[in-house]
Amino acid sequence: MARNKTENNETQPGDAETTVKVWDIWVRLFHWGLVMTVATAALTGFFANATWLQLHIIGGLMAGALVLARIVWGLLGSRHARFADFAPSPRAVIDHLRTQSRGGTHRHLGHNPLGALMVFAVLALILSLALSGLGTLGGVLRVGPLAPDLGTDTGFALREAHEILALILAALIALHLGGVAFESWRSRENLTRSMVTGRKPSRSGDVRHAPVRARGLIALTLIALAGGGLAVANATLSGRPVPGLPTATMPELVTEECGACHMAYHPALLPAANWHAIMRTLDDHFGEDASLGTDDVAEITAWLTTHAAETVDTKPARLFARGPEDALAITARPAWQRLHADLPETLFTTQPVGSASNCAACHQDAETGRMSPFAITLPKETQP
Amino acid sequence: MTSPIPSLKAAMAAAALTVLAAPVLAQDTSPDQLLSAYEAEAGASADLARGQALFTGQHTGGKPDTPSCTTCHTMDPRAKGQARTGKVIEPLAPGANPERFTETAKVEKWFGRNCNSVLGRDCTALEKADLIAWLSSL
Repeated sequence: MARNKTENNETQPGDAETTVKVWDIWVRLFHWGLVMTVATAALTGFFANATWLQLHIIGGLMAGALVLARIVWGLLGSRHARFADFAPSPRAVIDHLRTQSRGGTHRHLGHNPLGALMVFAVLALILSLALSGLGTLGGVLRVGPLAPDLGTDTGFALREAHEILALILAALIALHLGGVAFESWRSRENLTRSMVTGRKPSRSGDVRHAPVRARGLIALTLIALAGGGLAVANATLSGRPVPGLPTATMPELVTEECGACHMAYHPALLPAANWHAIMRTLDDHFGEDASLGTDDVAEITAWLTTHAAETVDTKPARLFARGPEDALAITARPAWQRLHADLPETLFTTQPVGSASNCAACHQDAETGRMSPFAITLPKETQP
Repeated sequence: MTSPIPSLKAAMAAAALTVLAAPVLAQDTSPDQLLSAYEAEAGASADLARGQALFTGQHTGGKPDTPSCTTCHTMDPRAKGQARTGKVIEPLAPGANPERFTETAKVEKWFGRNCNSVLGRDCTALEKADLIAWLSSL
């Protein structure tokens, strides 16, 4: 390299060891911000139940936003923040591996070519995770900016992709930690501390670069514009009507008759075949006689089947539509049992829930048939 | 057949049709009226003790989950009960809940359902009279 000029103001008086500044404050804030937001999204995504979904989404979207800001800084930031500083060519990666495997001491102050590959892979993965997460939100839960464009089929596919991408990211993070530990040992320097202080010990063999002036104001303007643009786009896209949602208002006859002994379940929670079977056997309705006059039976059956699971495109409708016809009750559907399997039996048998048929005890939106994870509140205390 | 006052006749017919077409009005009866009607149908007088025994007793002819009226209405019909689904049932005794036994259709609907659930058969008119007599006395 021709540029051998030592950067100005790089030595820090009072240090036993001469250090050079490598990572600017924004790179470091970005890195540790990413650690926190990705950790939040990963912990809530891999281990927590549906009631943590809001935090998962906040963590994931903030990680995505950080990556967008980092891309701007990668074009306009200080020397070692810029992609041009570390964007590796295949030849650079091979050369790096070859020299290092021969015990080479050549050190990159910024990212070395292998580390740079990791940086680009992680940035791309986090953006893909944020996008597939937004797609899952829109397709599966039918909310957010993409809800009008995606249905549950696409949503479930995107959720699969989201899960696979998350596993790949987890593997890359493990590799990254291993790489940092190995490289710290190999080059006898604490790389983690450098990501905190921004400085690395200066060594004679270091490749010196001319300083590159960071275009902070332009970067800030671009990031603000991008943020504003995304906010406007989100509001506009989210404001569109979402097709396939349960919207029908329950007639008084249904509310009165079905609601006499239990909550009046939304018709989209069961397929039409189940409603037919249930309304045919009211004289033995889950252990009790719930007989009704023929006219009322006909009217209620017609309304229930007109708005049954097949007629909407929501996650509960899709899930509860699957399964054998003889699993008549909502609570007997395989998906219901799977989704509630982790909950303790006593939650259902004790007050204030009292029975698994009491959806509204925990699902604040049970009446709408949406069963959004954002509307779940488990009762804090139960009594026998 | 011609009528001297056809407009009045038409109005009366319209009024009669309106009454027939209207749904059964809420609050069309009272516990006392129902009691008299069931006693008349049975041709016998109600008995409080028989009503209490029927209500609080354990029965075997009906559905296994509901062996007694008290399964849901509890031993004290003046208190709130609870359906097997966890839903609250308002008190059954008219003394605690004046809305009870004031709608013929509702009374018949629930006697029909619950007698079948608990006893596995319809209640007789005398049993209904006994039950209303006991519940009204609370």
